[in-house]
Amino acid sequence: MLYSIMIVDDSLPMRAVIKRTLKAAGYGGSHLLEAANGEEALALMKNSWVDLVITDYNMPVMDGLAFVKAMKEQDLFQDIPVVVVSTEGSQSRIDEFMTAGAAGYVTKPFTAEAIRDVIVTILGEADYEDTIDESDDDFDF
Amino acid sequence: MKTQLMKAMMTSISEVMETMFFLPVAFGQTAALSQAGLDAPDTMACRLSFSGDIGGHVILAAPESLVLEMAENFMGEPQDRLTQEHLTGTLKEMLNMVCGNALRSTPAETPFELGIPDIADLSEIAPDSRFHLIETDGATLGMLLHTD
Repeated sequence: MLYSIMIVDDSLPMRAVIKRTLKAAGYGGSHLLEAANGEEALALMKNSWVDLVITDYNMPVMDGLAFVKAMKEQDLFQDIPVVVVSTEGSQSRIDEFMTAGAAGYVTKPFTAEAIRDVIVTILGEADYEDTIDESDDDFDF
Repeated sequence: MKTQLMKAMMTSISEVMETMFFLPVAFGQTAALSQAGLDAPDTMACRLSFSGDIGGHVILAAPESLVLEMAENFMGEPQDRLTQEHLTGTLKEMLNMVCGNALRSTPAETPFELGIPDIADLSEIAPDSRFHLIETDGATLGMLLHTD
């Protein structure tokens, strides 16, 4: 099964790393959407189906916590699972996110396995076919 | 507490560099940027503020050639496809991860809050500021911890 996954992070390199991690975890065939902050993500989500959101906390314009709260207040988005990937890992911060409705929390620095384990818990195992990303230039048939 | 924080920063640099950038590090002495050769025009630097039990900021300085290698390892993209935005973003993200990782391992009554990393202007740093030097893959990084 292919998924649509939204990556929300103000860091262009970190979005690239998360995309690479998703591919390594077997979700490379998923439709990957990107946004630089919560506000941008909400705007994109109004026009795109999303199965899972992976978001940073510390972002300009709208941070990850405000974004999760805004999602959970809207009927259209409230059932979409959210995984937080953040440098901030204090228990009080994690509790805030989980209370707001986040489904998982991974602290940076992370391993591909840590991301994979959380996503598998939410979406289930990626199919083998999911590892083939047709947009990847490295694949030459 | 500053000593404890500095120790946590060093441990964190080692963890972040090895986990996310696949580069082992060795810690050197402290020195002014000019003594470490980090006052060259191609030196990149960024700054991140924090608050909590104590507040302050951390500055990280590195030669562009090292940041290029870090970005290549981090993103898995060849160097010729990397832009200046990728390089500054990589340095900012590295500092963000180093500080976040260090601060959450430091016992505190008030949880630390991180700011948003930004590019630093080296000309605004006092010339006698002593940076902690970190050697990696034939290059030198400099880190300055300033507490209020």
